[in-house]
Amino acid sequence: MSFKAMSTFKSLDDGSISITFTSQEAHVLINLTEQLVELLSEGDGQSHQVDPLLHLVGISNADSLPEDPVLRRLLPNAYADEKSAGEFRRYTEHGLREKKKAHALAIYEALLPQDEEWTGDTPLEKGFLTVTFPSTQSLEWLGGLNDLRLALAVRLGIGTNLGESKGAEKEEEPSNAESLHKKYELMVDSDPMKAVYSVYSWIGWLQQSLLEALTN
Amino acid sequence: MALGTAIESEVELDLRADRPWVCVVWDDPVNLMSYVTHVFMVLFGYSKEKATELMLKVHNEGRATVTSGTREEMERDVQRLHEYGLWATVQRDDEF
Repeated sequence: MSFKAMSTFKSLDDGSISITFTSQEAHVLINLTEQLVELLSEGDGQSHQVDPLLHLVGISNADSLPEDPVLRRLLPNAYADEKSAGEFRRYTEHGLREKKKAHALAIYEALLPQDEEWTGDTPLEKGFLTVTFPSTQSLEWLGGLNDLRLALAVRLGIGTNLGESKGAEKEEEPSNAESLHKKYELMVDSDPMKAVYSVYSWIGWLQQSLLEALTN
Repeated sequence: MALGTAIESEVELDLRADRPWVCVVWDDPVNLMSYVTHVFMVLFGYSKEKATELMLKVHNEGRATVTSGTREEMERDVQRLHEYGLWATVQRDDEF
């Protein structure tokens, strides 16, 4: 998969932000944001038996890092010591999941075709899809795109040892953009990780384009 | 003796409570430098210069203190940074 004709965000005269995606681009974003929302709903406050009253007020029983490596990256500890981190997580993890879901849904809902026949399994019929949103919504888009990058980065093994090792081990990881780019450029086209990397870089490029539209 | 100990630890507790807490942002190779700067500007109302300076500190030194205040305020800041995918933690100012 490659993204040769890349769409860019533009700032309109009325202050809103607009972008025209190819159907392939829209399809990728719809699927990724949908998966992200599903993942964020998984195991929400259910690491132990859920207390319905606590759940109602947004307090969960989750008091340790999630098992899923992507969720661990998206919902990190807020304290270095586990006891404080666990206590904070009980009161905040549910809310954090909800915020992240809202960010992903902002993208998902903007892109979802109005055609009810479409199930998401087939490419979109239309060649292009133009999306326009108020600039006040741009932070949700930026946050949602960033979460997609973080999720893909876990698959690619970028920065996955954050906070778990300090020093020596971290050096082995190609952390700067240039060495990462070389690593994936050298991969054969049939390697699925090469496709994942191309989506990862494209989303970064989209994020950069939105930031530029906002400052212009 | 028991009373004396109790008073002493209470005083110590008060002194500790007066010390500010800080919100520390840690480097993450995934997050774009321009995005991190933007988040600092929007969430904390920092100027482009200040936000850029903090972003560069995170990038070059691996971490930077971005805000300080009460524990509750720092917890709120960390939560907002997590919402936007930055890796942040709360700690006492003297832990560095």
